[in-house]
Amino acid sequence: MARVVPLFRVSPHFHPQNRPARLRRFDTRPKLVGEPIWGTGAREMASWIDTFVADLTDDAHWSYEPGGLAAPEPTAIAALALCAHGQLDAAARAGRRLGELQAADGSVGILLDRPTPCWPTGWAVLAWTALEAGSRDTAHRDHVESAVEWILSQHGRTFPTLSDMGHNPRLDGWPWVDGTHPWIEPTAINVLALKATGRARHPRCREAVEMLVDRLLPDGGCNYGNTTVLGQVLRPHVEPTGLAMLALAGEPDAAGRIERSLGYLEHAAAKTPAAVSLAYGVMGLAAHGRRPAAADRWLAAAARQTRPYQRSPLRKSLLALAAAKRCPLIAEIARSERGETCRSI
Amino acid sequence: MSIDLSPDSAAHYTKTGDCPKIGRRTLIAGVGAAAAAVVATPWIREWFARPAPVFLARGQRYDGPLEQTIADGLIATGVVPDSLRGRKVLLKPNLVEPSRLSPHVTTHPAMIVAAAEVFRRWGAEVVVGEAPGHLRDTELALVESGLAEGLDSADLDFRDLNYEESVWTKNLGRTSKLSGFYFPRSVAEADLVVSMPKLKTHHWVGMTASLKNMYGVLPGIQYGWPKNVLHHAGIPETVCDINASLAKTIAIVDGILCMEGDGPIMGTPKPLGLIAVGANLTAVDATCARVIGLEPGRVSYLKLADRRLGPVQDRLIVERGEAWRELATPFQLLDKPHLAQLRA
Repeated sequence: MARVVPLFRVSPHFHPQNRPARLRRFDTRPKLVGEPIWGTGAREMASWIDTFVADLTDDAHWSYEPGGLAAPEPTAIAALALCAHGQLDAAARAGRRLGELQAADGSVGILLDRPTPCWPTGWAVLAWTALEAGSRDTAHRDHVESAVEWILSQHGRTFPTLSDMGHNPRLDGWPWVDGTHPWIEPTAINVLALKATGRARHPRCREAVEMLVDRLLPDGGCNYGNTTVLGQVLRPHVEPTGLAMLALAGEPDAAGRIERSLGYLEHAAAKTPAAVSLAYGVMGLAAHGRRPAAADRWLAAAARQTRPYQRSPLRKSLLALAAAKRCPLIAEIARSERGETCRSI
Repeated sequence: MSIDLSPDSAAHYTKTGDCPKIGRRTLIAGVGAAAAAVVATPWIREWFARPAPVFLARGQRYDGPLEQTIADGLIATGVVPDSLRGRKVLLKPNLVEPSRLSPHVTTHPAMIVAAAEVFRRWGAEVVVGEAPGHLRDTELALVESGLAEGLDSADLDFRDLNYEESVWTKNLGRTSKLSGFYFPRSVAEADLVVSMPKLKTHHWVGMTASLKNMYGVLPGIQYGWPKNVLHHAGIPETVCDINASLAKTIAIVDGILCMEGDGPIMGTPKPLGLIAVGANLTAVDATCARVIGLEPGRVSYLKLADRRLGPVQDRLIVERGEAWRELATPFQLLDKPHLAQLRA
C-alpha cells in the first residue's frame, strides 16, 4: 500500500470547468484537405533561387544548422545544387572539401571530427560525379572509386526471418550505422551513387533495388523502412518516399508497387507542409517524369518561410536542388540508364 | 524533501559512475561493507531507498489551466522554484511521427508551452529540443504536431537534436554493451532536462512514458532513423543507460489524450485527462503503468531501472495530488503473449 499523503491543497485546477481557462488554442485539426497549402509564389521563383544559390556559394552554408559546423551531407547536397545552377567554382570547392573529409578506406563520416557512421559516403559520390559531369573535371575519380569500394564492402544486418515484420529481412541494403539493419534512406542514397557511377547492374545495386521495392507499403509510399509490424500496416511519409522514388527511377514495376508510391507522392506532396519533404517529393516525382505543374509555386512558398529552424542551409540546398531545371540526381540516373556512365562496372 | 538544482545538491539516486574518489582505509572498510551487502542486498537497498514523490492530477484539459497544474505538481514533488533562476532547462517532448490527424501520438503543444511558462516564471532559460525518431524532416514534425505554432505563440527557441553538435558521455548505467552516448550540446549543457512524453502503450515493451521518451535526446545523425543502434543493444538496457547517463531530469507526462492498443504510433486515442509530474522518472513511469493497468515490475525497462534509477514498488512512491487507484483505467494492449504478461 502506498504511503498516501493527503492533498497538499485542493486546487481548483482539478475541476477546470470551475476556473476561467487561460486559453492558448492550438489548431490540431487537419488543414490539408483539398488545396495545396503552399501559396502562389511563381513570380518570386527567380529571386529566391538566386538568393539561395548566392548563399550556398559561401561555405558557411554547408552545415545542418545556421552557423553550425560544415558537414558532409549538407556539403554534398550544396555541391549538387550549385552544379544544378551553374555555380561550378563553388561546387568544386565543396567537392574538394568532401575529398578532404574522406578517410583512407574511402568512407566519409557524418562530421569533420566524427569519422563514423559513414552513411554520407553515397552523397559524396553523387556530388563528385555531378561535378565531373558538369565540368569534365576528373579530379575526383580516385575519391569516387575508393568511396564506391567502401560502399560495396558494407552490408546491413540481415535476418533469416522476422515473424512480426512484413518485409523480407534477408534482402541486403545499407544501414545508417554499421552493424544494424538496412533501411530505406541509406539504401536509396547508395543505389543512386552506384547508378551514377555506372554500376546499375552491379549485384549489390540489384539486391538493394529489390529491397527498396520490398519495403514499399502495400498502398504506396514508404516510411523509414518497415512495412507492417505485428500485423499493422505503417504510415507512409513523403521524404523517404521521394528519395526511394529517385533511386527506383527506370526500374521495372510489374507489380505496380512503384506506381502506387508515385500515386501516393502526387497526392501527398501537394499537402506537405515542410520544405525538405516537399523537395524530396518533387524530385522523386520528377525522376519519373511526373513533376507537378505547381511544384515551383510550392517550392517558392516554402522558401519564404523564415522561422529560425527554417533557415537551415541543408533546407536551402534541397529547395534549390528541387527547383533546378536539370537536377543532377535525375540527370545522373538518366545518363546511367543510357549507358553514358563515368565508369563501367 | 526538496529538489534543489544548485550545483552542490545531490540527486535522489546516485547514478553508477558518480562515485567520489576514495582512500585506502575507506576502500578496505568498503570491501567489508560490500561483503555484508552481498548477503543482505535486497534488505539494505530497500532500507536506503528514499521514497520518491509522484504528483497526479485528473480532469485536465488542453485548454485548461495547465500552468497552474504543472507548477503545483513540480512544487508538490519537491522542486524549489528559486533554484531554477538562471538555469538552463530543456523541454523534451515526444514528436515521433506526428500527424494532425493523430494528436494522440505526440505531446500536445499546450503542455509544452505551459511547462515553458512555469519554468520561465521561475527564472529559468527555457528551450525545447527533440530528435524525432523516424523522420529526418524535423520541420515536418514541428508543423504536424502543432508545436510550430506553440513555439511562435510563446516565443520559444527550438533545438533540432538530430543534427546539433554532440558531446560524448560515458554510459553510467552499464547495463547495455554501449560504452557511452553522444548527447547533443543542448542536452549536455542543460541544468535540467524535462521529459515531456505522451502516455502510450508500446507494442514491444508495453508502455512508453518519461524514461523511454529519452531515446529522443540522441541524435539521429549518429544513431540513425530509427535509432536502430539502441534496438540492437537492447531496448530495456538502453532506456536505463540513457537515463542513468543524463544529468538532472524531471518528468511532466501528457496523459490528457493518451494512446492505447498498437502504440506508440498506430494505436487509438484514449482520453484520460491525466497529468503526472515527478523528479524521479522511474517512479513516475511506474505510477503511470499502474494507472493504465500494467504491473510495472513486469515492464522490462522498469524492472531493470528498479532501485538503479528509482523505485518501482508502490510503497516506495509517495502519492501527491490524486491517488493512482482512483484513476486506474486499464488500457487495451495488442493481443500478444509478450504483452499479456504485463497486466497487473
